[in-house]
Amino acid sequence: MTLQRRLWIVLLLTWSLGPLLWQLYTSFSINEALVTPFADLPQRWTFAHYQAVLTGDPPFWRYLFNSLIVGAGSTVLTLIIAIPAAYALTRSQARISQVARVVLIGAALFPYVLLFLALLEVARSLNLGNHLLALTIPYAALSQPLAILLLSSAFRDLPIDLEEAATLEGLDLWQKLRWVLIPLIAPATTSTAILVFLFAWNEYPIALTWISDSNLLTLPVAMARIAGSSIYSVPYGAYAAATVLGSIPLILLVLMFQKSIVSGLTSGAVKG
Amino acid sequence: MSLSINNLGRRIGDRWILRHLDLDVSDGECLALVGPSGCGKSSTLRLIAGLDQVDEGTITIQGEDITHTAAIERKVGMVFQSYALFPHLSVAANLELGLKVRGCARDERQRKVRHVLQLVQLEDRAALKPAQLSGGQRQRVALARALLRDPQIYLLDEPMSNLDAQLREDLRPELRRLVLQDKKPVVYVTHDQHEAMAMADRIAVLRNGRIEQVATPMQLYQHPDTLFVAEFIGRPQINVLAAEQGVVRAIRPEALELRADGLPCRLLHREWLGSSQIWQLESPAGTLRMLTSAEQTVPERIAIGWSEQLEHRFNAENGQRIKG
Repeated sequence: MTLQRRLWIVLLLTWSLGPLLWQLYTSFSINEALVTPFADLPQRWTFAHYQAVLTGDPPFWRYLFNSLIVGAGSTVLTLIIAIPAAYALTRSQARISQVARVVLIGAALFPYVLLFLALLEVARSLNLGNHLLALTIPYAALSQPLAILLLSSAFRDLPIDLEEAATLEGLDLWQKLRWVLIPLIAPATTSTAILVFLFAWNEYPIALTWISDSNLLTLPVAMARIAGSSIYSVPYGAYAAATVLGSIPLILLVLMFQKSIVSGLTSGAVKG
Repeated sequence: MSLSINNLGRRIGDRWILRHLDLDVSDGECLALVGPSGCGKSSTLRLIAGLDQVDEGTITIQGEDITHTAAIERKVGMVFQSYALFPHLSVAANLELGLKVRGCARDERQRKVRHVLQLVQLEDRAALKPAQLSGGQRQRVALARALLRDPQIYLLDEPMSNLDAQLREDLRPELRRLVLQDKKPVVYVTHDQHEAMAMADRIAVLRNGRIEQVATPMQLYQHPDTLFVAEFIGRPQINVLAAEQGVVRAIRPEALELRADGLPCRLLHREWLGSSQIWQLESPAGTLRMLTSAEQTVPERIAIGWSEQLEHRFNAENGQRIKG
């Protein structure tokens, strides 16, 4: 490894990890240390921000839990719809699946923010406001295009021989999916699930407008409230602590599944 | 007849990729389908398995018309060219899956899998994944799966084309013994005429979706119905002379012999095969292949001839054999 390459790596890591490390630093620093970083303070570290966030009303873990529910619910709902849809798409006539693919790409590229006022009307007329699981409906719908595209390319990469062999072994459609096809696209399913989960975890406008009960807020909305809790100052420490806490589940998730995320995202790139 | 195919046809768009196919295979008989790629041999197999729709004609197994029966309900044991083993399952699980969905009890399943693994000599590989097996072992697992299906008919689609030559030769008698032991019809697709001759009781030669000839390997070799069959069956390839008055004459390389009064030739190339040798000769009649004994030395002046009874004669127009 040349020196130059090492330098590039350090630069890249600093660029991408720097802000995260700064958040971590901020979350453990007392306010004086943030404002005067070079001052000689007797004590610059504190857990106070975490304490404040975790003992608030409602406590912070409540938002984490809400977001977990919404994220998991959206992911499950998305996959339940997207897996059969993706399979059907790969097995339909070439022309139908081509048209469907173009439509799906169009839908995936559509800026969903343009929809949220209309969605708000829908939520109002169907009484979906202030229900955590109701949020999973728009989330799953908005995630469909990307999920179907990713999963259908995974199905397409499976050799047709495998499915035919399963048919000759006497497996019906459901059994084929259950025992052969779904297990084989597991890497793509995992990476799709994580993308959907991330979307639900980060989503702001819909969560902001559908949920008003402070016990049911999701993380992004809750964090925005912390940041804007006072008009005179920004509570950087508390905000950073909330950010760190909110990132932990995602970091764990990605660490746990990093192998299948990588193999899922590159599926179809190289024929095995 | 236990497999009977009548006037079978398959169309893609307006093009018939297979048409007017008639075949009968009896119990305990191995029929090989051979032909160049795209001749329709694999399509025929897929129609018998029910993986593609039949557009014309009928398929009957054990007297039962299955032309339009769904693939899942046909009892066929198929070995795919790619083996099509489920990569996420162990060898034992691969074999058990079909039994499980067909409603076989757990104890019975395990007993059957143990038995078949013994049969294909893979008892010690039951827990491995397909990727951990060699090509020959995978092929045997695929065969074991077909055997466990307890099928009415065996279909083998180029089962040995992914194996090296030595292994193919070793496996041939074993494969033949295993698929024929329960006295079911066997249809064996291969592009390799040599393998077909070694494996099959009868061979059907296909060309452009039609059958050229169905016969025993010996009949095909000695009495080819068409010039195509004569050229396809037998290596080194038969010598085909230029057409004269609407007749094409063809002579097997081993029928050529040195004759003082024969065609004068020049030796182009000599291939020594150990027990025999092939001479490539330039003659007034074109390039000829001659198969001769290993001991034969190259004379100073080469002149060759052949006995007229060993000549095959074909109509230059349509390639059909001229009888008598």
